[in-house]
Amino acid sequence: MDTFRLRVIAPDRIIFDSRAAEVILATNTGLVGILPNHAPLLTGLDIGILKIRTNELWSVVAVMGGFAMVHDNDITILVNEAENAKEINLQEAQEIFQLTQTKVSQADGRKENIEANLNLKRAKARLDAIQEGIKEGTAS
Amino acid sequence: MATGAARRGGSRLAKQFADKLTLSSSVGVQNGGAMGSPWGMQGLGATNEVAPFGARAASNQAVRNRMRSVKNIQKITMAMKMVAASKLRTVQVKAENSRGLFQPFTALLGDAPAIMGNKTLVVTLSTDKGLCGGINSTVVKYSRSLLKLNQLNGEGQDTKFVIVGDKGKAQLQREYKKHISTYITETQKVSINFTQCAMIADEIIKSSEYDVIKVVYNKFNSAVSFLPTVATLLSPEMLAGEEAQKIGDLESYETEGAETQGEVLQNLAEFQLASVLYNAMLENATSEMGARMSAMDSSTRNAGEVLDRLTLSYNRSRQASITTELIEIISGAAALEG
Repeated sequence: MDTFRLRVIAPDRIIFDSRAAEVILATNTGLVGILPNHAPLLTGLDIGILKIRTNELWSVVAVMGGFAMVHDNDITILVNEAENAKEINLQEAQEIFQLTQTKVSQADGRKENIEANLNLKRAKARLDAIQEGIKEGTAS
Repeated sequence: MATGAARRGGSRLAKQFADKLTLSSSVGVQNGGAMGSPWGMQGLGATNEVAPFGARAASNQAVRNRMRSVKNIQKITMAMKMVAASKLRTVQVKAENSRGLFQPFTALLGDAPAIMGNKTLVVTLSTDKGLCGGINSTVVKYSRSLLKLNQLNGEGQDTKFVIVGDKGKAQLQREYKKHISTYITETQKVSINFTQCAMIADEIIKSSEYDVIKVVYNKFNSAVSFLPTVATLLSPEMLAGEEAQKIGDLESYETEGAETQGEVLQNLAEFQLASVLYNAMLENATSEMGARMSAMDSSTRNAGEVLDRLTLSYNRSRQASITTELIEIISGAAALEG
């Protein structure tokens, strides 16, 4: 089966460094799927989820923004922060999500508003990641 | 017991002798020769030659004090070495892991240390604490020569410093106070993380216009080798310019996300600055720990050597005073009989 080399790198550790068959990225304008032999591509990533398919199994990672570079069947994804869906607790993610939602409604002033929204996005990314992970059967 | 008491009393006597150098040496030679004592010749005469670092021989008490303080220093420097060694292990792992972060940028945008712009920003990474060997001086030396190089290149050159760390700040602000744009200190109060570097990168970008950023730091090669390194980063405008395009690979990429290439370059340059800074700060911190370890190690060894020399001189003068006493007692007894 056709595969490409995929590296997902965070500042403190390497999240993934192996071959994959497909990867779905969350860019600023929506989800983009990358298959082998994709044209060279450079894109910024938003706070959201990253799905990697290896051998019919999807693994899900929550990423907090970064960059993706696709070139010659070699994909490098640099992220500010990342969490594997396997390491996220569903209960905890839901609680944090609700907490950030209330914070957004309580936020007062432009700076607080922006911060609260950012935290909400991050909590949502984590929640989405664990929910997707459960759906794909690779996380519990 | 009696001899012990005599010895203790004798040390007071010996002090008087030790103060009068010429007298004591002649007494030693005479009686030593007569008595055939093994320390005779060397006894008090030795006080002369071992007079450490000064014209007068130190008294026993003074030497003992000195020995105690040197021993304390030795213990402290040994402890500092252990602390640095343990900190080195943790930071080294982080530094090695961070190397993978900025390499894709070099692959994508190319590395162009020779490109010079009109406005250069030199980011000097130094330590907050001292006692770490010569790493701060090397970084400051390189920063200074970068400034001079730019000044040689023409009138329109404007070079500014951003200094991270107290030691670099102390050295550079004497000469180049008006060239300094920002100081950043106490970066190691919390352990270095990417968020911190992203903030610093943000601060740098906001506070000044620049064409080229040069980050000067010590790259950690091994526990005894720290290489001063300069990392070159170009501003988004320069990256879009002709020279950079020839080196880098950017043209061959499409961009997704309905952003113009200019916007993508802007984001990319900011992220690159944060990643390079993160790696540079970690490497510098690792070099600091390694340099401190070797500085404290040689300091401990030197303290040991001083301690050895002092112990020798102390023992000699102690034995000399005992000999003097014995001679006194014996010659007094002989006088009584005879």
